[in-house]
Amino acid sequence: MECLMGLVGKDFVITVTDTMAIRSITVLKHDEDKTRELNPHTLISYCGEAGDTTNFAEYVQKNVKLYGIRNNIELTPGATANFVRRELADSLRTRSAYQVNLLVSGYDHKKGPCLYWIDHLSALAQVPFAAHGYCAYYCISLMDRHYHPDISLDEAMGLIRQCLEELHRRFIINMPRFVAKVVDKDGIRVIDL
Amino acid sequence: MSRRYDSRTTIFSPEGRLYQVEYAMEAISHAGTVIGVLSDEGIVLAAERRVTSKLLEVGLSSEKLYVINDHMIAGVAGITSDANTLIENARVQAQQYYLSYGEEIPAEQLVQRLCDLKQGYTQYGGLRPFGVSFLYAGYDDHFGFQLYHSDPSGNYAGWKATCIGANYSSAQSTLKQDYKEDGMTMKDAIALVMKVLAKIMDTNSLSSENLEMATLTLDADKVVHRVYEPKEIDTLLKEHDVIKSSDDMME
Amino acid sequence: MSIMEYNGAAVVAMVGKNCVAIASDTRLGQQAMTIDTNFQKVFPVTDKTMIGMAGLATDVLTLRDRFRYKVNMYKLKEERTIEPQTFAHMVSAALYEKRFGPYFIEPVIAGMDKRNQPFICSMDTIGCINFAKDFVVAGNAGGGLYGMCESLWEPDLEPEDLFETISQALLNAVDRNALSGWGAVVHIITPDQVITRQLKSRMLDWADPTVKDKAVRYTRL
Repeated sequence: MECLMGLVGKDFVITVTDTMAIRSITVLKHDEDKTRELNPHTLISYCGEAGDTTNFAEYVQKNVKLYGIRNNIELTPGATANFVRRELADSLRTRSAYQVNLLVSGYDHKKGPCLYWIDHLSALAQVPFAAHGYCAYYCISLMDRHYHPDISLDEAMGLIRQCLEELHRRFIINMPRFVAKVVDKDGIRVIDL
Repeated sequence: MSRRYDSRTTIFSPEGRLYQVEYAMEAISHAGTVIGVLSDEGIVLAAERRVTSKLLEVGLSSEKLYVINDHMIAGVAGITSDANTLIENARVQAQQYYLSYGEEIPAEQLVQRLCDLKQGYTQYGGLRPFGVSFLYAGYDDHFGFQLYHSDPSGNYAGWKATCIGANYSSAQSTLKQDYKEDGMTMKDAIALVMKVLAKIMDTNSLSSENLEMATLTLDADKVVHRVYEPKEIDTLLKEHDVIKSSDDMME
Repeated sequence: MSIMEYNGAAVVAMVGKNCVAIASDTRLGQQAMTIDTNFQKVFPVTDKTMIGMAGLATDVLTLRDRFRYKVNMYKLKEERTIEPQTFAHMVSAALYEKRFGPYFIEPVIAGMDKRNQPFICSMDTIGCINFAKDFVVAGNAGGGLYGMCESLWEPDLEPEDLFETISQALLNAVDRNALSGWGAVVHIITPDQVITRQLKSRMLDWADPTVKDKAVRYTRL
């Protein structure tokens, strides 16, 4: 029932997440942040089993930060995504596997912006755009139609708004609020939808 | 001589020294020499191999220079059997990092991991320290080419050019005098190594029999390590007038 | 739903005259939904050996990493590159190690050995090796691939003919399979080089500037 989206533009990545904390048929919270900053240029957004999600996200966040402190160099987004996948894959074959879906968005100073899609089975793919949850069924087709690799930030925001509008019109769940974050060469920032 | 504080590595002497560690370092300063020179284009490692007997079978592979992964090679001075376990450990560490992060381990981190192990053996009960020093030639995307030295105590440092093993101090002073800070090419680095070899080794017996050489360079953004063939080493030695060519000897 | 069909894949390898070919589709899906159209399932092992894996994508990646680890250690210890036959047994042992909680992939291995003899084989999820002299297949389009290979393959194909044969076999097999497709990668391994080519199948290609009218994107390219 949750919604994560991501899109790589010319020199940035946008991720959009819903802000609802749900348990059973009740909405517990309307301002849940489903993202964590791993280092100045890498952001993960996540959804899945409540509890597993924040626990896993904070576990990798702390480890990536520790890496930065220990080694005086930051992990690249590619290495971060691989690390996240490895941790999730290792847990997958234990009795207490994390049930988390993730998007890793980052800006690599050599390779530019990038987005990694990771599912709860820890399959990893580097993609131009991605979505998790039911919203994927609505949004991926829209992005397929309108996406192009050198899309500008304004254009991308337009496309995101189109996706959200579609969710409001067709999706049975009411999602009143979303948060969008941009990762680019200057770091991570929240952007108005 | 005191026998009280040098039998175990874990005990400081009253002067605050760890004798076993110092003995290990002393042992290394008699071992076969290893020279490393860093240039803008790559790194040269050269190592002296002590041939103990004519009857000894010379292995195909190098004895003093080891490949750790695609981005790092190392030269060894000290006890070979100790070196073997450390090299094996380094290789495993490098591959484990690759498994976790999908990228080659940064040069300094690999050196650090090995030094953590070495340090452990100077502290925990009943063990002797590893009797080896290493010169590491590595490359990573963060800091480019890097040359490191580590000793039995677990200390390490980055160098532009350095030397370990027998005659290291005279080799180091030559390196200090002749090292060019800017614009060092691979050719210059090899020439410098040859010059140092000529100075510190018995040039009458110097040949590919008792010398190993390897380089680490970039080729179209790919890291290439090359261990020199005996023939190539002999040619280099002649080219740089370290040994007389056979033609000269005929005269 | 079988876990083997969750992500979708098609992999095939063929023997030619002094060459071998290995090819796969590039789709990554979550059942019917396509996630990625550039997902690699064939990986180089040495200069003359490659492995392709069909099945659960997470295990494809995990095993890619594990085999890279093992092959790198083999190379350093033995000071030679691994032969395709030896590698096949390494893979088989690694899979059987997890006999009672297997990796959900079926590997396909293709390579030229040190005498430059072609070698191909496939395996089941627990490492039972199937050596073949003609072709091997794996993945969702496996049935279709067998049919295509049976009718197109012939002995002693030269590299270019082998490329055409394996490409046609793969493209036509995945076109009748909903869970695989979206482009393909073909590798032809000869004694002195690997020729890699990307193929288009029935697919969308927003990166192609010649495809102006997106309404006609789904026509056969």
